[in-house]
Amino acid sequence: MRVLLVEDERRLAENIVAALRETGLAVDHAADGEAGSHLAEQGVYDAIVLDLMLPAKSGQRVLQDLRRKRIHTPVLILTAQESKESVVSLLNTGADDYLSKPFDLGELLARIKALIRRAKGTSTPVLVVSDLELNTVQQTVRRRGQHVDLSPTEYRILEYLIHRPRAVVSQQELLEHLYDFDWEHHSNVIEAHISNLRRKLNVAGTEPLIETLRHRGYRLREDSVAQ
Amino acid sequence: MKGSVSITRRLVITVLVLELLAAIALIAAITIHERHVQFKTFDSSLIASAESLMGAVQDTEDEADNVMLDMRGVHTAKDAVFRIYDERGRVLGSAGEPPQPEMIASAMPVFRDVNVNGRRYRFLFLRRLRIVDPGQPDGGVRHEITIVYGTPVGHVWHEVLEAVRFFAIATALLLGVTALLMAWLVRKGLSPIHELAREAERINSSDWRFNAPDSAKRTVELKPLAAGLEAALARLQRSFEQQKRFTSDAAHELKTDVAIVKSSLQLLSMRERTLEEYDQGMTLVLKDLSRLEITVQKMLTLARLEQPSENYGSGISLPSCSLRDAIEDAVHQSNPLAELKSVLVKVEFASDARVATDSRDALLLCSNILLNALEHSPEGARVEVAATVDHGTIRFTVRDHGNGISDEDRDYLFEPFYRGDPSRSRKSGGTGLGLSICKAICDRAGGSIEITNAAGGGALVTVNLPAEPMTSHSLSASVSSASLKAD
Repeated sequence: MRVLLVEDERRLAENIVAALRETGLAVDHAADGEAGSHLAEQGVYDAIVLDLMLPAKSGQRVLQDLRRKRIHTPVLILTAQESKESVVSLLNTGADDYLSKPFDLGELLARIKALIRRAKGTSTPVLVVSDLELNTVQQTVRRRGQHVDLSPTEYRILEYLIHRPRAVVSQQELLEHLYDFDWEHHSNVIEAHISNLRRKLNVAGTEPLIETLRHRGYRLREDSVAQ
Repeated sequence: MKGSVSITRRLVITVLVLELLAAIALIAAITIHERHVQFKTFDSSLIASAESLMGAVQDTEDEADNVMLDMRGVHTAKDAVFRIYDERGRVLGSAGEPPQPEMIASAMPVFRDVNVNGRRYRFLFLRRLRIVDPGQPDGGVRHEITIVYGTPVGHVWHEVLEAVRFFAIATALLLGVTALLMAWLVRKGLSPIHELAREAERINSSDWRFNAPDSAKRTVELKPLAAGLEAALARLQRSFEQQKRFTSDAAHELKTDVAIVKSSLQLLSMRERTLEEYDQGMTLVLKDLSRLEITVQKMLTLARLEQPSENYGSGISLPSCSLRDAIEDAVHQSNPLAELKSVLVKVEFASDARVATDSRDALLLCSNILLNALEHSPEGARVEVAATVDHGTIRFTVRDHGNGISDEDRDYLFEPFYRGDPSRSRKSGGTGLGLSICKAICDRAGGSIEITNAAGGGALVTVNLPAEPMTSHSLSASVSSASLKAD
């Protein structure tokens, strides 16, 4: 999952980025409203954390423009203003959640994850697809009750695929949602991770869980989902 | 309410009392005049009656050539009292008991007021010559006839009082009507005051709008009050809003700084870390904390400077210091930043003077301005600092060669937390309290500060402070400090 942080306060941004990365999210940071607006409108993010007082363009306007362009990425607002009117007007503009400064870092992370989850159509932190069980809080995976040990990247790929069952997910999409700009982008990286993931999830005598559709991408097997 | 004063009542009572006094004076005048007129008429009628009696004195046609009174065809008032004598004291005719005639020398009629039987009468004494048979060769017989004629004066007084009563009643009625009319008019005339009061009553802490009603603005006497109220409220509202903005800005600054410290600590405690990571983390947290500390410190400084001075006017001499020393210290302090940006700070002292601040504030003022100039200076530029004394004012200028100030910023430069663009990043601009502190120091010392764009680019900060004469003590102090520096 990839998150965009728009925050002009350098030290605060550094801390939030570090915390988000430690929980396994890819993070991009924009230090002003213009850059934030530009990045957000690419539509590759699974959640956006937006400060209100921004140079160049206010958070309110970034949000307005985003919603006007029909980009429905969940947005969490960080604000130092606490008046009820401003909160109401923010939620009406299209914000999904807000936290007032000074906030609890753990709460921020939990809220971001909840926003992502809900945007993908699930409401519990444990995702189940047939005999596969993925716990997004502990970041653990079980198949038929057996613990499967995955690397962080493999886990993130699987999490993304589980969030979109039955859909074909292209390599490009995976790249966009799993890596931020601080990473080198190579599509063969994805291929290698997918093949590792397939091998680790494999149980003797069954079809592979992840299908490869040539030139199109990957998807979780339909029959396994249907069960 | 006890002790309250009603302008309406006061005005009405004043006017009524004046009217009453005028009415009393008028009635007195009328009484005197009426009495005079009535008595004149009365006297004329007495004379006329007496003359007609005189006309009734006839020749008796006897040998003695006596006279007699023939009352036929003579009309006298019914309660008239009279007596007619001839020169020998013979009574020709009488009615009632008139007083004895006095010796009347002249032929002029004489009036006397006499009491007869308890009634007040006015008598006329008239002496006339009656000649019987004037055609005789001896010239006829001369009879000197005296008439005493009087009628009661009571009805004259009655007439006078009637007239006075008529005027008194008319005046009383007029007074009543004026009182009502006045009360109504005064109330109507004072209605702008009530409208103004109603409008003023509407004001509360959340709604400061005050528009004096037109009626009040049109009233000459109320105009200054309405204008004064409007101006005072506008000033209050401005300062109220300024306070509100300051509080909200201060809260924003503090919350942001606290959020940074908190997130740094929470990031560090998210999982087990190596000693090295903890070490780095602690350094960062300390840095974040010191920023919070600076913000708080500056806010407290500003609060202290904006408090009214306690010593002011109490006779305790205010602290003062040499501005030159402060400038030199500030230049010295800012040396590292100047070297970092390779900016040359050129200092020019024409003269020195003492200013009415303590040395700490003077240094704060100079170094804030100087650091501001250095911050806005491009690499390798020059900053020019100068101080001159002129007509009891010391002028301290700092000029940089940066971008200068924009027109829209000019009015807000000294407002707390103002950083040009309202959401401009804090990376560039410190806390946004520096210039507010400078202004507070200048205000406290009775001076002024302004920032303009210098001719040829860059900003020019000008500080004008009232200069105190250098005392011998301070002179020796500055000499000794100079000699110390020379060592």
